[in-house]
Amino acid sequence: MVDVALQGGTVQVAVQMDRAKVLQRLRLGDAAFRQVTRAAAIAVLVILGGIIVSLLLGAWPALRTFGIGFLYEESWNPVTEKFGAIAPIYGTVVTSLIAMLIAVPVGLFIALFLTELCPMWLRRPIGIAIELLAGIPSIIYGIWGLFVFAPFLQQYVQPFLIDMFGPIPILSDLFAGPPYGIGILTAGLILAIMVLPFITSISRDVFEAVPPVLKEAAYGLGCTTWEVARFVVLPYARVGVIGGVMLGLGRALGETMAVTFVIGNAHRISGSIMAPGTTISATIANEFTEAVGDLYTSALVALGLILFVITFIVLALARLMLMRLNARIGT
Amino acid sequence: MSSVTAYTVPTVTPDPASGEELEPKVLVQNLNFYYGDNRALKDINVSLFNGKVTAFIGPSGCGKSTLLRVLNRMYDLYPNQRAAGQVTLDGEDILSAAQDLNLLRAKVGMVFQKPTPFPMTIYENIAFGIRLYEKLPKSELDGRVQHALQRAALWDEVKDKLGQNGLSLSGGQQQRLCIARTVAVQPEVILLDEPCSALDPISTAKIEELIDELADDYTLVIVTHNMQQAARVSDFTAFMYLGELVEFGETSNIFTTPSDRRTQDYITGRFG
Repeated sequence: MVDVALQGGTVQVAVQMDRAKVLQRLRLGDAAFRQVTRAAAIAVLVILGGIIVSLLLGAWPALRTFGIGFLYEESWNPVTEKFGAIAPIYGTVVTSLIAMLIAVPVGLFIALFLTELCPMWLRRPIGIAIELLAGIPSIIYGIWGLFVFAPFLQQYVQPFLIDMFGPIPILSDLFAGPPYGIGILTAGLILAIMVLPFITSISRDVFEAVPPVLKEAAYGLGCTTWEVARFVVLPYARVGVIGGVMLGLGRALGETMAVTFVIGNAHRISGSIMAPGTTISATIANEFTEAVGDLYTSALVALGLILFVITFIVLALARLMLMRLNARIGT
Repeated sequence: MSSVTAYTVPTVTPDPASGEELEPKVLVQNLNFYYGDNRALKDINVSLFNGKVTAFIGPSGCGKSTLLRVLNRMYDLYPNQRAAGQVTLDGEDILSAAQDLNLLRAKVGMVFQKPTPFPMTIYENIAFGIRLYEKLPKSELDGRVQHALQRAALWDEVKDKLGQNGLSLSGGQQQRLCIARTVAVQPEVILLDEPCSALDPISTAKIEELIDELADDYTLVIVTHNMQQAARVSDFTAFMYLGELVEFGETSNIFTTPSDRRTQDYITGRFG
């Protein structure tokens, strides 16, 4: 009996020692995990800081030469080395605006259809099609835009727009001819197609996360599907939806290849959105190889810096918008 | 007849003591309900009397909530769910394809197990439902919102924070907000699907008090797991088991002299 009891005691002690060792190992693992995750997070800050610093350094010669005028001068003349960024800024903002004006409502409608109305058998095909649309490389959008979409617009859509808006005072300027096919409008439309899947798939995911019982409660009051979508689903999913829209907008602002193909690459601001223009990223992509001289290169880097700043401003605006939405619903 | 029909077609005897006339607001006849091929309700026959509180009790999965979801046709939101039989509201068949669902749901309000405040302010949670049906000037709308919140015994607690989000309230307050929202639309029937099961005892007591008060003006149907609650708040009780309506009658009778063995077993806690 005594023997057995003693043995039991030693076994217990041994188990405890083992436990201590295991715990020690776990603590080490935990510490390593903490350090690795922290290092990864800090790496983001370092990389971001590095990019900002190198952009500032690269842009400095151009900014020093042209000063604040770089932001509002229109001329872009490599021969006389006079550079102003307003045309590409305008092109970037306007093409993205056109893209969002189209893609946000269409994307939200697709997502609402998929989550609230679509019969089960049709959900997967549409969902997969949306994801495929997101997977198409931008170069393909570019050549498709140049060889198929632009001629189509030139032949059918633009003449119609010119005729339709011709008699209306302000819109007639916005849609003034001639129909080139390529231009700001075409770039905006291509961008709309490109960002549509982002907005759609993210919105769909957040709409699906709305508790069914919340929707039932709204239907239980006698709401129509539209009322449920507008007043319950959308406000509930607002954070995710704005996140999706911002992701899409980020892509639209920075998209290079597809836009370069169809925008016309003209350094000027026209009243008509059917006229050729350029964007920041298209200008950089087109001209970097031929940029001779430090000032020319520096002007292009400065354009990149401006794009960076625009993205910052957009993100800040998104925050502001979210805060205002939250205030309206009382949180 | 066989003993089966004896309890699938329950009879109700009006209270002889009070001698009041009982008028069925909702009449359910031979109702069967299917989730796909699964028959969840079997030949249900029951009357919900005007201005009375009817409680449905029974173990989980017996079809109480399913029955409730037939009464405002909430099941219509989902494919593969269908009801067969006849359910009339004031003599009008609500299961017919011609029934306007929005109109039906305006008449038959519903409160859910978990509080479901909408993502809007407390004020908007109430005003939202009213606006669906009526265009009111601001002052009148304010009055209606206040009235609804008072009916739900919530006004004093929220009158200074109507602009805050509905989710900022406690669980019990949220549930009363949902009741106020339902009341604001001025329904005729209110369905309560285990309205207290997510709440603490004090909130539960408040909701029960509220049910008592609402019973003066509305026909109430409450599904509950809590037999004491059924005994406290209801005038009539129906016991359901495995998709069948086993017994239906005045609450006092069901709880004191149940005629079916299964009812007796359930209310004495032998199963369920």
